[in-house]
Amino acid sequence: MLGFLTARRAGLDDPLRLRRAESTRRVLGLQLNPDRDVDRIHGNGINTIDIEAVEGRYMLSGGADGVIVIYDLENFSGKLQYSCKAVCTVGRSSRYVHKFSVETVQWYPYDTGMFVSSSFDKTMKVWDTETLKPAEVFQFEGNVYCHHLSPIARKHSLIAVGTTNPKIQLCDLKSGSRIHILQGHRAEVLSVRWSPRYEHILATASADSKVKVWDVRRASGSLFTLDQHNGDKSKASSEAVNTAHNGRVNGLCFTGDGLYLLTTGTDDRMRLWNSATGENTLVNYGKVCNESRKRLQFTVSRGCSPEFVFVPCGSSVAVYTLHTGELVTMLRGHYNSVDCCEFHPDYQEVYSGGKDCNILAWVPVLRPSDVEEDSDHEVKGAAGQSSVNPAFQDAWSSDED
Amino acid sequence: MSRKRALISDAFNLKKRRNGTEQFGATAAEDGPADIKSSLEYLMTLFPRKLFNDALPQIVLKHQLYSLHSDKTLVDKEVNKMRERGDLLMFQLGFDAEAFGLVFTSDYKAKVLAGEEGKTTRATVERFLEKVVSACTDLSFTKDKMLKEFLFTDSEITQLVKSGVLTVRDAGSWWLSIPNSGKFTKYFIKGRKAVLSMVKKSKYGEVLKAEIEERRTNSQVKFHMKYHIHDIVGAELVESIPTTSGTLLRSVDS
Repeated sequence: MLGFLTARRAGLDDPLRLRRAESTRRVLGLQLNPDRDVDRIHGNGINTIDIEAVEGRYMLSGGADGVIVIYDLENFSGKLQYSCKAVCTVGRSSRYVHKFSVETVQWYPYDTGMFVSSSFDKTMKVWDTETLKPAEVFQFEGNVYCHHLSPIARKHSLIAVGTTNPKIQLCDLKSGSRIHILQGHRAEVLSVRWSPRYEHILATASADSKVKVWDVRRASGSLFTLDQHNGDKSKASSEAVNTAHNGRVNGLCFTGDGLYLLTTGTDDRMRLWNSATGENTLVNYGKVCNESRKRLQFTVSRGCSPEFVFVPCGSSVAVYTLHTGELVTMLRGHYNSVDCCEFHPDYQEVYSGGKDCNILAWVPVLRPSDVEEDSDHEVKGAAGQSSVNPAFQDAWSSDED
Repeated sequence: MSRKRALISDAFNLKKRRNGTEQFGATAAEDGPADIKSSLEYLMTLFPRKLFNDALPQIVLKHQLYSLHSDKTLVDKEVNKMRERGDLLMFQLGFDAEAFGLVFTSDYKAKVLAGEEGKTTRATVERFLEKVVSACTDLSFTKDKMLKEFLFTDSEITQLVKSGVLTVRDAGSWWLSIPNSGKFTKYFIKGRKAVLSMVKKSKYGEVLKAEIEERRTNSQVKFHMKYHIHDIVGAELVESIPTTSGTLLRSVDS
């Protein structure tokens, strides 16, 4: 680490390299921290969480009881022990609360004045954060599994919605219209995701085992369908043509730069695809347990090298290296199955929520001050936070107490 | 490829051991690609040839390699390289969509031809082996391909199916297969179930790998215990946990 710092100071290394090295070190040291807590407001399982993109300060969570809670993640108290407080809640007593479980919540990508939530009560509501009243309600015929707003869109403000209906609806925030439909899937659409690289590219995953990539400007249909065998028709039974998985596909995630797409399916596999060509990169992650009948929210780290995937696996979160498929560690701490997890890019923290009504924060372990023998190349953390000020050291009590 | 600069994650190996490198009973072979071949050969020795009266070539399952090497993607790449070179053949074994059997090409050819001695279908099978098996690495063939590319007639295809080299996949397409492998599949599935239930019935549903390898195999298990252990570990049907007394196999509740 000292090597990186010196090289950065002398200009031998790009500043980005030090930042990436430190981010990777922090991600490799993620642990459940007894000092960091998230307020427990939900009475039922937590289905979805989202951290706002602007400041990374506020986190939204949606629960199985229809309750939506906003938490403040910033620690201004100066103390190490911090509990993320709930700033406001759309609770069961609110007139506008969802009747059934909230499946997806997402902040408006440009500011925290607005957020969108969709639920099994067949509605999608666009909320005003200030007054906690829905500014717009979209009604659908089937349960809404997921929705997504493009995080980089400038030319459009479409929300892609996946419901039990095989047709994907695009709702326009500006005009409230919902006439744009994407047809092509044959079963319910479990997950939709806009590309973080191109604002018109949308990927959708469905229970018919297919993942389709669309350009919403095109009238004629999907750009391509992901094929797990890369066109080699001899590998599996002939019904498995052009399927991304051998079961329902219930999770989609683009990497931070939008170049790769990850999909998870109920065949207990996770696959990495080249998002431009649709080619299966054939990275073998092994068995990624997946029994979810709904969308699985998983996330990829940003700003590290190599990138890591955090995927809920039963009652723990599995961390895999993105391009080699190696299992780095399992983050254990939840009492029941984990439904969602989200990565905070600025602090390299992971928040995960599950059926046990808890949101757990996985915080990088600060390197403790080292044992004397090993002091050569050790570092005391980027800002020396773990070294104790000699004025506060206990120099007079005896060890025998 | 020599790296001028070290990999970032290597510099921060947070899991480094303070007092030397003690591998707690782990037998992981952290070596390069050359060792995939030697692990394959090792696994082939575990295959019981006498059980099938030497009529079957030695079959290894691809996921058994995953239990010997930690990087699955690397194993996959190496296996594909060997298949492209023509040293290895891969078969879809049929009982599991992801269970692929691997056989050395030379073994396969020798056994198939030995099995065809004195049969009328011998010439067709020989032609098939030469033209198709040596040339392309597919797992299955469609009727179109057989008729046009490889110029086999319908009756010849029937002969190939009769001799066991092709198995029906669905109307108009066939899997490449190993003749007389039905017995193998039967014993394999029975043995796998038996070993899995042995692990499940153990106290706490877990057993040390060294211990279960020593156990007497009951009548259901015809193969070497180690063959089955590599299979269930590689297919992730049991969790493999490194402990201070060796590797522990814990049954997965699913």
